[in-house]
Amino acid sequence: MKLIIGGYAQGKLDYVIKKYNIDEKNVFDYELPTKEELESRSGSKIVINTLHRIIKKRIKEGGRPEEEIASFVKKNPDCIIICDEIGNGIVPMDPFERVYRERTGRILISLAENAEEVERIICGIPQKIK
Amino acid sequence: MTILILGGSASGKSKIAEDTICSLCSSRKYYIATMKVGNDEENIERVAKHREQRREKNFVTIECPSNIENALKEMDTQKNVLLECVSNLTANEMFFGTEITSIEDTVNNVVNGIKTLAKECDNLVIVSNNIFESGSEYDESTRDYIKALGQINRELIDVSDEAYEAVVGIKVRIK
Repeated sequence: MKLIIGGYAQGKLDYVIKKYNIDEKNVFDYELPTKEELESRSGSKIVINTLHRIIKKRIKEGGRPEEEIASFVKKNPDCIIICDEIGNGIVPMDPFERVYRERTGRILISLAENAEEVERIICGIPQKIK
Repeated sequence: MTILILGGSASGKSKIAEDTICSLCSSRKYYIATMKVGNDEENIERVAKHREQRREKNFVTIECPSNIENALKEMDTQKNVLLECVSNLTANEMFFGTEITSIEDTVNNVVNGIKTLAKECDNLVIVSNNIFESGSEYDESTRDYIKALGQINRELIDVSDEAYEAVVGIKVRIK
């Protein structure tokens, strides 16, 4: 698994699509792919885009994004995960936003630990940090 | 040796800072805690988690929410210190007096206090926050706070021998 992080609108997805020649039908936003979606794409490289949005949605739905994402990565060790960096601001007043930042940060730390490579994208330019 | 560790929320900066001071000193260390815990459940939980991380790593905790140089009074001759964190210290200096302290006075209090500390310490690891990249709009006093912390970070990096940013738990060298 490769992890790509960076601020909003830094060209993370474009970078991944170009570098790995990804078919856009293999890019998933908002939700992790279902078993059927994965089976129909067997052998292709899967990209999870905007992981932070998936995490936010699952927290709102009362899900367990930590376990769901870990289990997805275990089953799809060749995937690429893209996530915005959302923790570099003032602590939000809204308790949900605080929980969302905290859980997203912890999920990213754990993904980075297990990733074969971590790149941070700024203005479309990658910095390899692991 | 003075080392600055910066990072956003849940970026793994506390763990990196602890590992850093532990690699410089295996015997007893001081941990300067700046957070005013109060009755807030989230804070109590956060502090408990950090205490857990420090357990068995040989830290003596000194609570010092403002006037950081006073922490020196509680130390013996060997001074290996982890200061966590400058963002709380800055908020305490700015907002917890009878009136709001100006940006200039806040910066001076925090920077001079930490410089005094750095001079006396064998090793000092300083944790500060990256709060500068959310793009959100804030009220005037929050903007002043952000400006003060930005200036403090710049002055602290000047007096630091090394500086790192914590990014998804990875230590990225910036100085």
